[in-house]
Amino acid sequence: MRDVVQLDAEYLGRLRRRDPDALQSVVDEHGRRLYRAARGMGHSATEAEDLVQDVFVTFIDSVERFEGRSQVGTWLFGILHHKSQERRRAVAREELNDPVDQIFESQFDGRGSWIRTPAAPDRQAGAAQVADAIRACLDGLSPAQRDVFQLREVEELSAADAGKILVLTITHIGVLLHRARTKLRMCLEGKGWGRLR
Amino acid sequence: MMTCKEVSTLISTGGFSDAPLTRRLGVRLHLLMCRHCRAFRRQLEAVARSARAAAAVHETEPSRDFESKIAASLKR
Repeated sequence: MRDVVQLDAEYLGRLRRRDPDALQSVVDEHGRRLYRAARGMGHSATEAEDLVQDVFVTFIDSVERFEGRSQVGTWLFGILHHKSQERRRAVAREELNDPVDQIFESQFDGRGSWIRTPAAPDRQAGAAQVADAIRACLDGLSPAQRDVFQLREVEELSAADAGKILVLTITHIGVLLHRARTKLRMCLEGKGWGRLR
Repeated sequence: MMTCKEVSTLISTGGFSDAPLTRRLGVRLHLLMCRHCRAFRRQLEAVARSARAAAAVHETEPSRDFESKIAASLKR
């Protein structure tokens, strides 16, 4: 890990006094790397910016306790991981019910058979068009659904590994993946997915 | 005989590979006979494929004034 800024006593003192140049330099040095990591963890663009800001606020508030033994980057990434987990747990608790569960149910008749055949993807659509559509639809997912979809379907991790990273049970991972997929299917169908069949 | 709803839910939650053998066989048998559920499975695969393709070219840079905004919030 590249980590040019070592916290010497003088620099630490400037951060504690909230010296504007010192604050700016620590953000310039680490901000973008933290942002990219937060995006990789599946946070949306807005969330990732929020999260990184939160990381720096916590860093500056706790800089009194920093003894310069670990490098700044390591310290910041530790805070990022902790904050990210905190958000994930908060989000997971909110999601006992989701209206999308009823939408999925409504696609079957009384005997549990599909009412309408699920649409096949539009083979005529260009890759860029499909990518734009899926990005727009991903923004409609809750953060927890997006995290799970990212880890399971994009990173192709097992349910067990995704559960370890997100601190969720395998059952909960399954529920969130199912909701994410249902929302994405509905959203893509709404954008004309399969219209040319 | 499993219903479309049972089969599709098991596929959609990703719980298929962890399901007991009889359930897995039930799903396979159902898929052989049901074009709706086969279409559903293809749809999920297509969604995942598109997401992977989109992620490969995903914008990974923050907004332009990102660093200044954060530094400004720290100075307050």
